Amino acid sequence: MEADLQSILEKARAGAPEVSSRPDLETFKASLVGPNGELTKVMKGMKDVSKEDKPRIGKLLNQTKNELEDIFSRLNKVIESNEMAARLGPPVDPSLPVPGFHAGGFHPLTQVREKIISIFQKVGFTIAEGPEVETEYFCFDALNTPSDHPARDAQDTYYFPGKTRFTETTQQKRERYLLRTHTSSVQIRTMMKNEPPIRIISPGRCFRRDTADATHSANFHQVEGLYVDRNVSVKDLKALLDYFIKSLLGPSAQTRFRPHFFPYTEPSFEVDFSASHLGKVGSRWIEIAGCGMVHPSVFESVGYDPEEWSGLAFGMGIERIAMILYGVDDIRYFYQNDHRFLQQFHQ
Amino acid sequence: MKISKNWLSNYLELNKTNEEIEQALTLIGFEVEGIDEWGLPDLPEVVVGEVLRREPHPDADRLSVCSVLVKDGEEPSTIVCGADNYKVGDRVPVALPGAVLPGGFKIKAAKLRGVMSQGMMCSGREIGYGTDGKGLLILSERPAVGTPINQVFPDPDVIFDVEVTPNRPDCLSYVGIARELAAYFRLDFNYPDVENFPEPSGDYNPDTLLKGITLDAEEDCPHYTAWRIAGVKVEPSPSWLVQNLRSIGLRPINNVVDITNFVLHELGQPLHAFDAAKIEGRRLIIRHAADGEKIFTLDGKQRTLRRDMTVIADAKKALVVAGVMGSEDAEVDEKTIDIVLESAYFRPSQVRSTARRLGLSTDSSYRFERGVDPRGIGFAAERAIGLILQYAGGELLPPRLEVGAPFHLKREIELTRPFLDQRAGYPIPNREVEEIFTALELNFSARVHREGTAYWNVEIPSFRGDLDSPIDLVEEIVRMYGTDRIPAGEVRGIGLTREDDAVARANRRFGQILVGQSYQECLTYTLRSGEELKKWYRAGGAEALGVMNPLSVEQSHLRWSLIPGLLETLRLNAFRKTGMSRVFETGHTYYERDGAVVEANSVSFVHFLSDQERAWRKLEAPDFFSAKSLIRQLASSIQIDLEQYPINDIRLTNSAWQDGHSAMIGDLVDYGFEARFGLINLALAKTYDLEGVLVAGVLSATTRFLERDCRPPVYQPINHFPAAERDLAVVVPQQRQAGEVAATLQEFGREESGHSLQMESVKLFDCYEGKGLPEGHKSLAFTFSFRAEDRTLTDDEVNEVFRKIQFRVTQTKDLTIRG
Repeated sequence: MEADLQSILEKARAGAPEVSSRPDLETFKASLVGPNGELTKVMKGMKDVSKEDKPRIGKLLNQTKNELEDIFSRLNKVIESNEMAARLGPPVDPSLPVPGFHAGGFHPLTQVREKIISIFQKVGFTIAEGPEVETEYFCFDALNTPSDHPARDAQDTYYFPGKTRFTETTQQKRERYLLRTHTSSVQIRTMMKNEPPIRIISPGRCFRRDTADATHSANFHQVEGLYVDRNVSVKDLKALLDYFIKSLLGPSAQTRFRPHFFPYTEPSFEVDFSASHLGKVGSRWIEIAGCGMVHPSVFESVGYDPEEWSGLAFGMGIERIAMILYGVDDIRYFYQNDHRFLQQFHQ
Repeated sequence: MKISKNWLSNYLELNKTNEEIEQALTLIGFEVEGIDEWGLPDLPEVVVGEVLRREPHPDADRLSVCSVLVKDGEEPSTIVCGADNYKVGDRVPVALPGAVLPGGFKIKAAKLRGVMSQGMMCSGREIGYGTDGKGLLILSERPAVGTPINQVFPDPDVIFDVEVTPNRPDCLSYVGIARELAAYFRLDFNYPDVENFPEPSGDYNPDTLLKGITLDAEEDCPHYTAWRIAGVKVEPSPSWLVQNLRSIGLRPINNVVDITNFVLHELGQPLHAFDAAKIEGRRLIIRHAADGEKIFTLDGKQRTLRRDMTVIADAKKALVVAGVMGSEDAEVDEKTIDIVLESAYFRPSQVRSTARRLGLSTDSSYRFERGVDPRGIGFAAERAIGLILQYAGGELLPPRLEVGAPFHLKREIELTRPFLDQRAGYPIPNREVEEIFTALELNFSARVHREGTAYWNVEIPSFRGDLDSPIDLVEEIVRMYGTDRIPAGEVRGIGLTREDDAVARANRRFGQILVGQSYQECLTYTLRSGEELKKWYRAGGAEALGVMNPLSVEQSHLRWSLIPGLLETLRLNAFRKTGMSRVFETGHTYYERDGAVVEANSVSFVHFLSDQERAWRKLEAPDFFSAKSLIRQLASSIQIDLEQYPINDIRLTNSAWQDGHSAMIGDLVDYGFEARFGLINLALAKTYDLEGVLVAGVLSATTRFLERDCRPPVYQPINHFPAAERDLAVVVPQQRQAGEVAATLQEFGREESGHSLQMESVKLFDCYEGKGLPEGHKSLAFTFSFRAEDRTLTDDEVNEVFRKIQFRVTQTKDLTIRG
């Protein structure tokens, strides 16, 4: 009997590698532990075993049974994993390209805009938006721009015919509609709606009636900022723009304030930077922004008391900054959308 | 404006390098756009020589030995020369022994390959004239032998090209720039001298030159003066004057005209000299032009005038377009004997509009339109008269004739010390402030208010029309104290007190969703052609979107959609084979509705699946539902659940979309938003050379809609009981929308389930047409999902409700249960 059990085990071990499918396994199992299986036959012989041998043989029988169960369970696992693999098909070549793959990304002007915005957001500025179709009041009058100022001429600014009405752009009186020439109009709208202190940044699309060439575009983008509070000074203005330029161009970038003239600020400055570490820029001074202290008459037109409040304002062209940062030499590339151009800026 | 350093030196001792001057001008607000250095350095030992003989050098193939005459009547010098662009008889610059050429190169008599050379014949570059170093500088005008070379070429000079901002007309002059530089460098500054004029001889009657002036356009010409000068001799100007004018690019004409031009640039006051003999009726009339009146201006063109322009005329005709340009009819020429000199103030906006209408910007109009010094008229005239009498002779016949009066009001500004400190933000000592005031000719007195506030009372000179409030004085102080002395400071940062505007937040989310879906952001122009608009949009809507003054027909109308720009982008990329197939843009678009235009914030995407597209494994083609999926995501990012709104055909409003494969939800005017999505009309796509499928979507919303208050989510308790599900297939006519059927079933479910259990949802999972169904019908299969709040449902209770729902279906027209 012991010999029988030993041979069953050996047979099972020898037969296991032949088992490769679930039916095989069932047949294999039946041949050993099924109603007519070999082990079953041996177990039936237990009744003939002598009383004193029973404990020993019984133990041996159990051992054999357990070992067979182990073999079955191992086989079962192998078969299960083979079955799962069969559902997935053959292994893949991981180096094959993704069919129809397309890398998405943001336009470089959006990225530069976000970069500028995030610098100002760190010091408390939030985004204000406004309509692109503006009126003369918000674009010029409220910004202290005289009615015969050349910038207002139909040579330089797009106007709309008198009968056209725009439902989303409020008028002050019945002044003409136009395409905004700067986003300063957003500052006016924000000041008219809110009481100081104010700290906003307004990015957006602007228009000048220019013939397109390498440096002029029918539309372009600006970021303008406004900060109104008590005791805002020229020193604050310089500190803010120093901070901005160092954040944008690196800590070694230098800033220079050139006195300039804008109708809506007094004093007014143009801001130059030099950044010798930027290879394409070199150590020359390059204009990057305009800025100044908000003109008292701008405050008067929005109903702020210029004695109580002072403010600073600044503005810059996004295309211009992108061209400086990346060394792009033709503004029109930004609107042509050639993928080879755009994807160079994927980050 | 061009500023000659030599000319500028008349008004201040400017012992500064060009770099120092450039930096100073820049820092006080006059950006230097260019520096042009020309002329020769001082070269005392370089003279004009003539080549008399030229022979080959005995020991060097490339050299010649020349005999050169460097002084008449003396022995010619022997000079060895390596150039070969000259011939015997040419005159060239010769550096004599002892000369020091630019770069410190000393010339000595020395042997060259055994031949003694007594000097050097020079190229242009060697003497600092231009950059040509290839051959000798041949002096084709043949100046006399022995003439020092510095006399052949004009004095060396440096020309600064300076940008003067429109608020500073006083600096459109040498005196203005000199005053500013003197203030910055703290140098002395001198006005030009004007001496008293000699008493008239009595030989002339002034009325024979000009009897009077009539002012018929007082508003446009507040002040006009005329001075009579008899017996001048018109001839070419002296060389200093010619050189000054030439240095800033002006063409000398004759002494009288040149002097008026000189004074214009020196003092910024334009002047005009008339030939008195050409003034018919001996009277100047300042009047409005007649509509259509013609004048031949000095640039040789006939101009047609309008009523809103002002002219200086005689009895018969217009002689000058006031403040802009004179005519040939009163020009001073070599026959002129008596002149009338005009010095006047014209209204800036009037001159500006006239110059613009005529397309004629002159040195004169440029200054008048920015505003000349209202009190500078007399001084400029006297300066010019002094020069005329000195260089053209003649005598001044008093009195001057005058109409109107200088309108300048005396202005004083009070600047308090605290205001200056607060606006500047850093301390500037009183002494510096007062030095700056003095240097800028701002007369002041330092005072103290009764309550103790120190202030300056500052008198504003007539030439500073730009200064009219205390902040303007702060600017002057900050500017002259030096912007490089504004101290570095900390940014005053405070926490965010305000949210970014809704439009910015929405665009950011749209971008993130689309970039995440592999779309590339593009930017296209806002202005598009009217033709395209008509092709895409209802023809009627086109008109309202046009700008008044387009530059071209390609850019004449506001964009009503972002899609045409994106299709052009795809066309360009397809043509260049860049492989770009998914694009999007966010931006403003404009919709015409009942004659009014609604400006909307839009996002648009286009996915182009080209017929040529190849991949190693076939991909499932994007279709209407790809667009619907993406548009739902975009909408939900701005808290719109598109499933809550009816879905409609686009066909009626827009021909840009493919029939049967596109739809719209919402309405910009009624709801504040709208979405259009599906396939772009295939025929239209073809006109962009795009062959394939274009899946696109547009979501637009007004700013007011984006800014609306959104209800925050309300929490519903959830339970841990499972749902029970039942499936039902319904046969309906083919044209019935699945959404409608689902809504009907939803309603049945809600009504029949009562209170003790709830029907949660009805979801479509199959849609079948074809075999086994009646003609013109389709089968829609739904899963109904039921749940109770307090227990696991039993089959019996679910079946009971489900049976009732089925019964309702059988009672409904056009709905049958599929067996």
